[in-house]
Amino acid sequence: MQVKEFKIKWGMVIDIDKCTGCGACMVGCQVENNIAPMTKKDPYNYVQALTWDRDDAANKLKVLTWLTVYELSNGAAFPNHETAYLPRPCMQCGNPACVPVCPVVATEKNEEGGIVSQIYPRCIGCRYCMAACPYHARYFNWWDPIWPEGMDKGLSPSVSVRPRGVVEKCNFCHSRYLDAKNKARQDGGDPMNLPDGAYNTACADICPTKAITFGDLNNPEHKVHELAKSKNAFRLLEKLGLAPQVYYMSEREWVRKQGDNYNADGGDHGAPSNSHG
Amino acid sequence: MSVARRAFIQMSVGATVGILFTPTVWTALDDVSIWTQNWPWIPKLTYGEAKSLPTVSKMCESGCAVKVRTVAGQAFGTEGNTDNLLSGGGICPLCANGVQVMNSPSRIKAPMLNGKEISWDDAKALVSEKLAAAGSNVAVISGDQTGTVNEVFSGLLVNQGSDAFYSMPSDLQKADKAWTDLMGGSGQIGYDMENADVVLLAGADALESWGPTVANKKAFASNENGTFIFAGPVQTRTASVTSKWVPVPAEGMAAFVLGITYYVLQAGKSVPAADFDQFKAMVMRGYTPAKVEAATGVKADVMAEIAKQLLSADSPVVVPGGSVAANTAAFALNLLLGGAMKVLPEFGKAVETAMTRSEMLKQDILKGVSADVLLVYEANPFYVLPEKIKAGFTVAFDSVNTETTAAADLVLPTPHSYERYDDLASPYGVAVATYSLGTPVSKPTLNVMNAADFVLGLTDLGFESFQEVLEAKVAAVGADIDELAEGSAYVLEESADVSGVTLAANVLGKAAIPVKGNGAVALAPYTLLNVGTANQATTPNAPSTISNNQLIGDNLVVMMASVTAKKLGVDVGSKVKLSGGNGECEALVQVFEGVLPGVVAAPLGMGHTVGDEFSKGKGDNVYKILTVSSEAAAGASTWAGSTVNVAKI
Repeated sequence: MQVKEFKIKWGMVIDIDKCTGCGACMVGCQVENNIAPMTKKDPYNYVQALTWDRDDAANKLKVLTWLTVYELSNGAAFPNHETAYLPRPCMQCGNPACVPVCPVVATEKNEEGGIVSQIYPRCIGCRYCMAACPYHARYFNWWDPIWPEGMDKGLSPSVSVRPRGVVEKCNFCHSRYLDAKNKARQDGGDPMNLPDGAYNTACADICPTKAITFGDLNNPEHKVHELAKSKNAFRLLEKLGLAPQVYYMSEREWVRKQGDNYNADGGDHGAPSNSHG
Repeated sequence: MSVARRAFIQMSVGATVGILFTPTVWTALDDVSIWTQNWPWIPKLTYGEAKSLPTVSKMCESGCAVKVRTVAGQAFGTEGNTDNLLSGGGICPLCANGVQVMNSPSRIKAPMLNGKEISWDDAKALVSEKLAAAGSNVAVISGDQTGTVNEVFSGLLVNQGSDAFYSMPSDLQKADKAWTDLMGGSGQIGYDMENADVVLLAGADALESWGPTVANKKAFASNENGTFIFAGPVQTRTASVTSKWVPVPAEGMAAFVLGITYYVLQAGKSVPAADFDQFKAMVMRGYTPAKVEAATGVKADVMAEIAKQLLSADSPVVVPGGSVAANTAAFALNLLLGGAMKVLPEFGKAVETAMTRSEMLKQDILKGVSADVLLVYEANPFYVLPEKIKAGFTVAFDSVNTETTAAADLVLPTPHSYERYDDLASPYGVAVATYSLGTPVSKPTLNVMNAADFVLGLTDLGFESFQEVLEAKVAAVGADIDELAEGSAYVLEESADVSGVTLAANVLGKAAIPVKGNGAVALAPYTLLNVGTANQATTPNAPSTISNNQLIGDNLVVMMASVTAKKLGVDVGSKVKLSGGNGECEALVQVFEGVLPGVVAAPLGMGHTVGDEFSKGKGDNVYKILTVSSEAAAGASTWAGSTVNVAKI
């Protein structure tokens, strides 16, 4: 499959040298996208005594973290040890591995902007896409989303809540894209030529160190256009040829090498040592 | 009527054929299969006008300047406030979950006396009676470092004839002790990290948990040419982005700073302090690089290199964390360097009889609190140091259930930050004096009352309501209330007077000597905001952000370098018992090479016994194994130098 090109290509450049791994982006993402907190008990399960508890957030295999912050280690012993944090949203690949494997066309890369969609009502939960995605950016909704009593009052109006049994993923806060285009239309602007910052994701907005920069990679007036070309920029697992629209930056060579799962020395430090998700 | 055999057979055959051809059965089966799989609760989204309303959030220690997103008047999310210099658009992970905490079922719904609901009038009558009986034997513990609510509480104490105002242990308190008590200064220390060209974070985990973290991160992000160096026993999240991590034991931080000071003095730097000569002699004699290296393990050439960087910088700054001695040493070094350390004036008071911020920090909670009546405001001392609190009658003001509300006799629910008037004056560490105002952006749904309003009903401070107090405060600050209500911060660029400040030479010489407990390994407690602070447990959406370096399942995780693990005979995943201080903790071992050998790093803020399912029973409470020791020379108590014994179980 060929890399799909668009006039507008929304992308991120994440400066790993600025990310402290605080987790604010992950919390902001959950709030924006109506991802329910993980609760063990289900108040609607009237036979709870006969069934297993649901998983709580301690089970990292079952959490819905569309954006996950991974902890990287250079693998060296004290005192030469170095550490770094890598936030991982959906890469919105130019040549996505998840799209061709979907048997029901629940995920597509067709819209101007290059965001890989996830159409929940079509999804049958087969999880082929999860198996195909090398970035582990897709999550299966194992449990009904249940907000503890009263917390369902504060749901984001822009994002529908998904039932259990479907695959979910980051969509660059797509409803914000729609809002930005609508606003441009109302204000007499061009929805196909949004100014830098008119459309921004929740994680980029909330980041206290502004490690995440978001914009149109094809638009020279957007900061990401230049940042993605900087000498320290790289993409994860670039050798797979999936052409992610998410770039990373680091002055540290070991970080850049791990980004492409560099294994030339046969060492064992290819994978992140620990992760949040 | 009789049914013949033939008729019965005809009817049975007809019914069978009918059932086979009718869609009803199959549709019903289909429906059953769908509806038995359907979720029992269908969430409904609210639609309407969307707004973004500015206020302040007091969930983290320093407080965040936020905007609360609402739809049809219903709050649903929190974002940063770009109009306020404390935020610049970012917020911390705790405040990012503010609305969810506000709507949490663990909120306290009504005043409770020993577990039974009572009316506000009865609560007021009861507290009035208790206060009258207690006379001056009344104490307050406040978990708020920046609010005018403290003026109201201290005004009550003054009217009772008491000076027992306690704050929870904080870096602000250590800095105040060093600056005002030992060095004779006035005002509050700040650090201009945005404009400094070399920033030495001497134990201050400034980009994760120390000081105004969001403002610090904003300064770090915009200071593209500055060099940041982190010194401390653990390669914290701050250290993951600084140019350099210098491993220094917590108890050796003061000596380490004086070791750097040695080179700075050698380069001829001086200040017109009365005790400069004594200070210089003390450092040049007692804190030579060789002596500091022997005491702390930090190589002399490392200190020499840092001193060189600081000396060649135009605007360097040393930001201390940890003991009073480390703060004193850092302030002395900053005065010598003449860089980006600032001294902020305190804003005027609203309540005339109230204590100043510095006066509120004088009592040492680690030495213990004893009173007939104890008022606790949004603090959790029964989680952090339960054995130090002795009270005849405890009143806890809080918005959510905690160990302290569980231990209190009377629990009085406060509105959440987003439901009340509040303010945020100069959080410790900011470079300039700032004042932000919080106004209610969401209607309270529970039977709550602002703690200050309750206290104003108990004692005469010249105000009817807290709103009036805040109006007086804004007038005393000299700000425009309308501009503040729109979310911008008032900034006062003035500096406090530093003439007459000494270098505390007579105290520092002794206070900076590293003192360690006698356990097998040193304990390096650390705070991560997503895990929680002393007063605020983790929030509903934060647990999925907690890494397996802090929590695996329900087990606390402690980190150590491989050499330490080998020495202790443990490995990754070993279950260990840590004993020290007043108790024990159970934990799993994680090997992390970013920990000084001989040190175990453990996260604070877990192991709650009261609270919601997101924090209760998760991990273990590391405060139990901290040892309170006396910084004898500095006249303060500290947790620095805590050690633990580690046993494999």
